[in-house]
Amino acid sequence: MSPPPGRPKEGLASHPAMLPAALAIALLAALPWLGLPAFYESFLYLVCHWTILAVSWNILSGYSGYFSFGHGAFFGVGMYASAYLAANLGWPFLLTLAPAAALAALLGLALGAVVFRVKAVRGELFALLTLAVTFVVATVVLNTPIDGGPGVYLHSVAVPEIGPTPSSSLYLMALAGAVATLAIAWRIFVARLGIGLFAIHDDEDVAEVMGVPTYRYKLVAFGTSCALAGLAGGIHALFVTYVTVAETFNITVPLTVVLMSVLGGVRHWAGPAVGALAITSLHYFFTAGIDPLVGRAAVGAILVAVILFMPQGILGFLLKRRRPQARPAASTAAVPAAPTRRAAPSGRSAPLLQVRNLSKSFKGVRALDSVSLDVYPGEILGLLGPNGSGKSTFINVVSGHFPASGGDIQFEGRDLVGLPAHRIARSGIARTYQIPRPFAHMSVLQNVSLVAMFGGAALDQRRALEQAWQWLDFTGLRDKAGALPDELNLHQRKFLELARALAARPRLVLLDEVLSGLTPGEINDAIELIRRIRDRGATIVFVEHVMRAVVALADRVVVLNHGRLIAEGPCESVMKDSEVVRAYLGAPAHA
Amino acid sequence: MTLPSLNLLLQSILSGIFIGALYGLIGLGLGLAWGLLRQINLAHFGLLFLGAYLSYHMATVWGIDPLLTLLVIPPLFFVFGVVMQWLLARFEVSPFNSLLITFGIAVVMESAIQAVWTADFRRLESHYSQMRFTVGSLYVPVPELLTLVLSAGIAILIWAAMRYTDLGKAMRAMAEDAPIAAAFGINQKGLSLVLAGICAALAGVAGICLALTFTLTPSQIFAWVGVVFAAVMLGGLGSAIGPLVAGMIIGVSEAITMAVASPSWAPIVSFSLLILVLLFRPGKIRA
Amino acid sequence: MKLEMKLAQRMLSLLAVPLAAAAVCLAPAAATAQASKEPIRIGSTLALTGPLSATAMTHKLVGEIYIEQLNARGGLLGRKVEWQLKDDQSKADLARTLYEQLVTSDKVDLLMGPYATGAILSAMGVAQRYGKVLVHHTFGIPSLAKYDMQFPAWSLGPTPGTTVPNTLFDALDASANPPKTIAIVTSKFPSIHFMSLGGREVAKKRGLKEVLFLEWEFGNRDFGPIAARIKDANPDMVWMGDIALEGNMLLDAMRKIDYTPPIHFHTYPAPGPMTKSPDGGNALSLTIFEEHPPFTDNKVAADFVKIFNERAAKAGLPDTHVEVQAAASYSAWQILEAGVTGAGNLDDKAIAAWLKKNKVDTIQGKLRFDGPSNYGDDLMKIKQVQDGNWVVVWPKEFAAPGASLKTK
Repeated sequence: MSPPPGRPKEGLASHPAMLPAALAIALLAALPWLGLPAFYESFLYLVCHWTILAVSWNILSGYSGYFSFGHGAFFGVGMYASAYLAANLGWPFLLTLAPAAALAALLGLALGAVVFRVKAVRGELFALLTLAVTFVVATVVLNTPIDGGPGVYLHSVAVPEIGPTPSSSLYLMALAGAVATLAIAWRIFVARLGIGLFAIHDDEDVAEVMGVPTYRYKLVAFGTSCALAGLAGGIHALFVTYVTVAETFNITVPLTVVLMSVLGGVRHWAGPAVGALAITSLHYFFTAGIDPLVGRAAVGAILVAVILFMPQGILGFLLKRRRPQARPAASTAAVPAAPTRRAAPSGRSAPLLQVRNLSKSFKGVRALDSVSLDVYPGEILGLLGPNGSGKSTFINVVSGHFPASGGDIQFEGRDLVGLPAHRIARSGIARTYQIPRPFAHMSVLQNVSLVAMFGGAALDQRRALEQAWQWLDFTGLRDKAGALPDELNLHQRKFLELARALAARPRLVLLDEVLSGLTPGEINDAIELIRRIRDRGATIVFVEHVMRAVVALADRVVVLNHGRLIAEGPCESVMKDSEVVRAYLGAPAHA
Repeated sequence: MTLPSLNLLLQSILSGIFIGALYGLIGLGLGLAWGLLRQINLAHFGLLFLGAYLSYHMATVWGIDPLLTLLVIPPLFFVFGVVMQWLLARFEVSPFNSLLITFGIAVVMESAIQAVWTADFRRLESHYSQMRFTVGSLYVPVPELLTLVLSAGIAILIWAAMRYTDLGKAMRAMAEDAPIAAAFGINQKGLSLVLAGICAALAGVAGICLALTFTLTPSQIFAWVGVVFAAVMLGGLGSAIGPLVAGMIIGVSEAITMAVASPSWAPIVSFSLLILVLLFRPGKIRA
Repeated sequence: MKLEMKLAQRMLSLLAVPLAAAAVCLAPAAATAQASKEPIRIGSTLALTGPLSATAMTHKLVGEIYIEQLNARGGLLGRKVEWQLKDDQSKADLARTLYEQLVTSDKVDLLMGPYATGAILSAMGVAQRYGKVLVHHTFGIPSLAKYDMQFPAWSLGPTPGTTVPNTLFDALDASANPPKTIAIVTSKFPSIHFMSLGGREVAKKRGLKEVLFLEWEFGNRDFGPIAARIKDANPDMVWMGDIALEGNMLLDAMRKIDYTPPIHFHTYPAPGPMTKSPDGGNALSLTIFEEHPPFTDNKVAADFVKIFNERAAKAGLPDTHVEVQAAASYSAWQILEAGVTGAGNLDDKAIAAWLKKNKVDTIQGKLRFDGPSNYGDDLMKIKQVQDGNWVVVWPKEFAAPGASLKTK
């Protein structure tokens, strides 16, 4: 497993790799003055060039899983922007780089603003869209005065005098770009943005419901990625000096960045750089000496071999040894105590959650039909009904997983209908999933701390991690903290769901069949846990079929059938209600 | 823009249909592997050209009728596909990784092809390339017609097999949820081998059609990736008829553009159309 | 070529990058070859793999033949010649890097150009930075050749966009049925596009009526609609701005709708396929050399043709004829040899100065380099596919014996 995203425990300055890294950068920057043959600069230029492209691609596609096949479009926009401004309008070259990056970012943001709103465009559809954009941009460039056919020749453009020679100047520009790109990629990786992106990678819908502002994050990642690609393009225009559509917009750039990133490792910020170095060196290595065809075949064979034996990429393989540390000091304070309120079911304070005429249809199937109910602070409300009655849908709508088709939801006086799910999470509502949906590539601890960061609690990374430990204690998952979710059994995964929900410090917890599949002993544990949750001040709505638990826990129950609310009140009386009986058991065979 | 005669327009549309059919035929194997085996198989393009070159060789050097190569090459490739899948299955390869591995294999194939046949252009000249039908005032050349017939025919055949035969249903089940399918007795390993073999055989068929209509050079292997990927992704992964329909949408929209406006604008029309379809009806093309 | 040793050296030097072991890694081949009998090393790249490799093969063969012949005659300045060839994989940025390696690390004595305009421009940039002479074979856009010490072997002349179409139309005017209407269809590939636009201008000036003008993007696969539009326009002649196989594909598409243009001219078609294709008959194109008298009256040319035919057949090339690419390639080596011999030493400035002041005898004819961008005369001739072979048909003094321009 690759090291987790998120801030390392120490600050950057004291990170063990920091000093060697700074030294290496200084040495690389000093290279032009060391008297080496100039071609080293050109070779390293190519390495830096591909580093910028691959690492920037990874910021969106590797971190969030939105596989873009159109990196070439943004690269090309940057290349032509610089070429046009410098060669045709006579701008000093360095001044063209910012517009190059900006234009590329603008295109990406415009595209993302539209595309990221369309829920269905994920996976290969996003790849297709970005590929299509490349063709469109290429055609526009080819048929307008930007290029129009003859290509753009930058012969007359003066190379900025940064280094002693033109080659070294270009190399230094690319080096600066590569360092900047790596720094940005690292920064995102360790920040909330990175954690959120990785969560989106695993399960975007759940991430949104847990409080990650997915739309915004994807947009930021995409814009950053495109800007850097545009920068690389701008510099490259001067390197090749002759820019043509056929050379710029072909399949090479989009395909190569994927190969480099996968080879190096997509789940790490520096992975693609390793891949860039490896593949550039490989290509270069075989340019002389052996039959070029043998060389080319050897490159292909090496790629195959490396990935077969290092499926996580080179960097992923190298870092696999070090499992993420996850041991704080013995947990200090206990779970933050809250005033223990035993809310009396009959004490009618104002309702916490008010639902009026809530409806939800799925293409003609009415899953919820004008449901109205109130939930009072401190109570445990059971939500019952036969299969297909709309219980899970109710939870999904209230938590924002699905938008409502009609009706009104008020939580603590605020209107929830129409809010994106991450804002609902921020308001203080949390839910569990009937079939647990943890983030598969994150450890148990990371799963919980993420919600502590993004949910209603909105803590910073360090405090979120501390809190996560407390919640793991509370749910008894402490010694599974470093494990991946698929190493847990069902009981543990259900409790992980609970821990996640609680990490948001919600005032309203929606539990969706937490007990299904558990053994009787485990059910008892769960009932205890839920009680303790309420005792700490949360209000609970829970969907359940295990009647024993309902009777033990619920202050009140409501019953749904075919999407409509058919009964409401204390357990005993509701269970005897004839309509409820009919709903569950059907009509009697004879009157 | 010039207003074309109806004949010109129809002939152009026909041309677009033909090239779209070829995109669909090439994309069929690619899409099936992507959707059902979770493999993004760039080696498919290598196989495509290998099939084309073999067909060229058999026809030009050994004097075999190109259509007869349809009996030889697909079965050969079926075996190749099975072997490759067997090797790949020993490692559990994720989709991204499969992209890299199959790219490597494609590069090896490209080098091998260039070593045997050189980089120079090779063209299969057969009596078929001279044959054509006329339908009214429209011309229907035989090689292209053959491609269309094979493409549509095979697509429909596979669609029907997926729908109605046990083997087809088993494959779809396996793609949707392998562990559950296995619980029902579906032999995932065996099915994957068969499916990979079929996809490779399809590449062979597409290669023969390619050889009949295009001149060959090894580096062209990667020139087709962009447009065929587009057809596959638009048509739907794992769909039999989707890539064909998508390919034709691309081909016909470009052809119409070329008939009425400057041909160099053609890609913008097809790919803008694609973008619009994706944004407003993403589920539309799926079979 | 001691390439294995060079390879080992390069592995070592690559490992030393970028650490401070710089001092250790410098290749020992740095010493300048004094008046010793060390071989003269000429460095270049070619697209041995990748999309351009189809044509680059020819250049590799020609280079090998020339170096052998040169060494058999005693070499250059009394020393043997070695050719250090690298594969730029059809990538202009790699070409640039490799040329820099050749100059700054391998420290070759002389440079030879790579294949195709993009790579040549990259090489030109490197040559300019280090003050090296660059002789190149097939560079398509004279207006971009801005370096003072570059020398073109392909005698397009400085303004081929005007001179070449004039040659063509002269040829057509002298034929049995000069065309009155013209359709111009062209690829938007840079080295073609400006030629077609030039052709358009010249056609207009000479009174031809343009009935159709179309451009397609390089990489287009479907030529059906374009063919249909040409057929509809019914021109007397078609000017096709094509490169590589585009012309074949277009002719193919036209044949499929039962149309053969009465006269069809191609800018840079792939020569072999055009002769072999059933649609290629009577195709017109440009050339600087063909395998028949009067070109082969020159003994050097005749010998070269013979050797090239043999070697190409052995290498498995489907087409073994010497035409534009091979001829330009051979001429490039001839130019380089003449320059070095004329200057009497390996000093690039001296070589360049000599070349500008003198004429060089090549298999194309006498070339001069004192025009704009070092281009001399436009020596392009019109050739035509007749009976499955390319033969020159214009100007008359270069036409194959008994051949003349055939029109439908």
